[in-house]
Amino acid sequence: MQIAVLYGTETGNAEMLAEDIASHLSDHDTSVTNLSDFDPAAFDRETFYIVVTSTYGDGELPASAQPFAAAMDKARPNLSGVRFAIFGMGDSEYPETFNFGGKRLEEILTGAGAERVGERVTHDASGGDMADDLALPWIDAILSTVDA
Amino acid sequence: MPQIAIVGAGPSGCFTAQALAKLLPEARIDILDALPVPYGLIRYGVAPDHQGTKTVIRQFERLFERQGVGFFGDVRLGETVTLDALQGLYDAVVLATGLSADRRLGVKGDDLPGVLGSGAVTRAFNDYPDTAPVSIGEQVVIVGNGNVAVDLVRLLAKGAGEFHGSDLSEAAAGQCGRVRRIDVVGRSPSDQAKFDPVMIRELGRLEQAAIHVHGLSGEGKVVEALEHLQGHAPDGATREIHFHFGWTPEEIEGQAHVTAARFRQGDARLVLPCDTVLTAIGFEGTTPGADAEGNIGPGLYATGWLKRGPRGTIPENRADAQAVAARIAADLATVPAGKPGRDGLLDLVPQAVHYAQWQNIDAAERADCPEGRVRQKIATKARMLAIAQQTGES
Ligand SMILES: Cc1cc2nc3c(=O)[nH]c(=O)nc-3n(C[C@H](O)[C@H](O)[C@H](O)COP(=O)(O)OP(=O)(O)OC[C@H]3O[C@@H](n4cnc5c(N)ncnc54)[C@H](O)[C@@H]3O)c2cc1C
Ligand SMILES: Cc1cc2nc3c(=O)[nH]c(=O)nc-3n(C[C@H](O)[C@H](O)[C@H](O)COP(=O)(O)O)c2cc1C
Repeated sequence: MQIAVLYGTETGNAEMLAEDIASHLSDHDTSVTNLSDFDPAAFDRETFYIVVTSTYGDGELPASAQPFAAAMDKARPNLSGVRFAIFGMGDSEYPETFNFGGKRLEEILTGAGAERVGERVTHDASGGDMADDLALPWIDAILSTVDA
Repeated sequence: MPQIAIVGAGPSGCFTAQALAKLLPEARIDILDALPVPYGLIRYGVAPDHQGTKTVIRQFERLFERQGVGFFGDVRLGETVTLDALQGLYDAVVLATGLSADRRLGVKGDDLPGVLGSGAVTRAFNDYPDTAPVSIGEQVVIVGNGNVAVDLVRLLAKGAGEFHGSDLSEAAAGQCGRVRRIDVVGRSPSDQAKFDPVMIRELGRLEQAAIHVHGLSGEGKVVEALEHLQGHAPDGATREIHFHFGWTPEEIEGQAHVTAARFRQGDARLVLPCDTVLTAIGFEGTTPGADAEGNIGPGLYATGWLKRGPRGTIPENRADAQAVAARIAADLATVPAGKPGRDGLLDLVPQAVHYAQWQNIDAAERADCPEGRVRQKIATKARMLAIAQQTGES
């Protein structure tokens, strides 16, 4: 199965996690792409998408995901049949908008008809967990249902 | 194999190394820092109660632990090594030494005892090695309308119980614990204040401070956030915060010590009695005159605050570092190999603190910390060096 890991980041935490997920899944045909370089027209039903994004400002998408959100809004592609898993990165120091980035991106994708697989899991920069320790078991569990 | 030295292990230096390691996987990259410990203002500027912001350090750890980037701590450019010597050893030298001198207020009395710059204060609150403790009284005026001013307000207004999960030391807590009233005064009107609205909103969670906002005008996210704060009054509040906008500093009054700060707005005057004035009006220093891509001259580059001036957040430094790294990678494509790089530096600074030794310091800081804290920073260079030199067997 083809896997595309897409990330939205400002300080690079989501990018590092996206790369870690891709190397963890090296048995598959895996690519890693910054959302700023991803064209919504490129979505493909044969590919499984893993989306990793942080949160900024007032619960907004990070800078590198904003052009993607704007392009989705403009192109309004029909993503029915596209499957994705989503992992958010945030910080509970911002309690009112904790992990809104992941939530926003999920809404953008499901709003276009894509199907979320598994739960949206979130990492808390102020918590004790390393993002990898949450994300790698999470994606293994999801892929075991998708592969089948 | 290109040899690259980066001077300054703050976020700009580390992000430059990260980008270079991607663009030039075969390059040997070394990062030098004047301190025995890495990470610059992430460790010594970003507030002790904003640990989440410090998690970018995990990316930098990977550079040193897995990507072969070298760390040479306790090496000060201009003292321990000269720029000429570094340029002799490396194909490219990147200056990422930041700019940390406090900008002064520039009014009469700004040098009175009791007037402190935000850099000096935040270094003291962050246990910067060998920094003199600061003495903060009960009535504090903070001049400035940026995020560092908000950091100071929050740290001074928090009670002892509000630092759970931080790395604020006992010594630092002792310095910020006595405040009863804080006046935050900005020169511009409220709609031009440079506060991040999210940081303003965070003040609404203070458990012991009543907040009063005076002279709001205009609109926008900051004004909305400030409107929201107005009237915040937790039960049993023990301190007050007052925001004032549009007041230009005129004089700091006092004989042997600060007694009041005076401001002007047209013909009106605002006189705030106080025992401490904290200036948070930015930093200064000379930038080396790099072009937009960071180039200063053949084989010499600048990035981060040193390049752009002392403004901008960690994400801005990352974007800038990536642009500078791209320029370096392009330039190095045409440079003949053969400089000694790290081997030469090891001979030149045999006493430098290496990454494994920093890991000893890091482990000691984490192991030896009080309940409710994530770290207890070692506060003197002598102790850092002593721990660095422990072999780990004893
Ligand atoms: C109080 C404060 C709070 C902040 N809070 C935040 C925040 O919450 N979020 C955010 O995004 N940004 C924050 N910032 C801004 C952020 O810290 C800067 O954008 C960033 O640190 C600049 O990175 P830099 O690497 O250019 O400089 P620095 O971080 O200053 O790093 C410079 C490094 O160079 C070393 N050095 C200096 N001189 C020499 C020499 N001669 N030889 C060798 N090494 C040398 C220093 O020891 C230091 O390690 C804050 C800044 C301050 C001052
Ligand atoms: C200025 C700023 C604003 C932030 N705002 C939020 C927020 O509203 N909600 C949230 O959950 N996290 C917020 N965060 C936390 C980041 O999303 C978190 O640190 C994440 O790990 C950053 O990942 P990145 O390096 O990929 O950008 C904010 C961080 C910063 C520095």
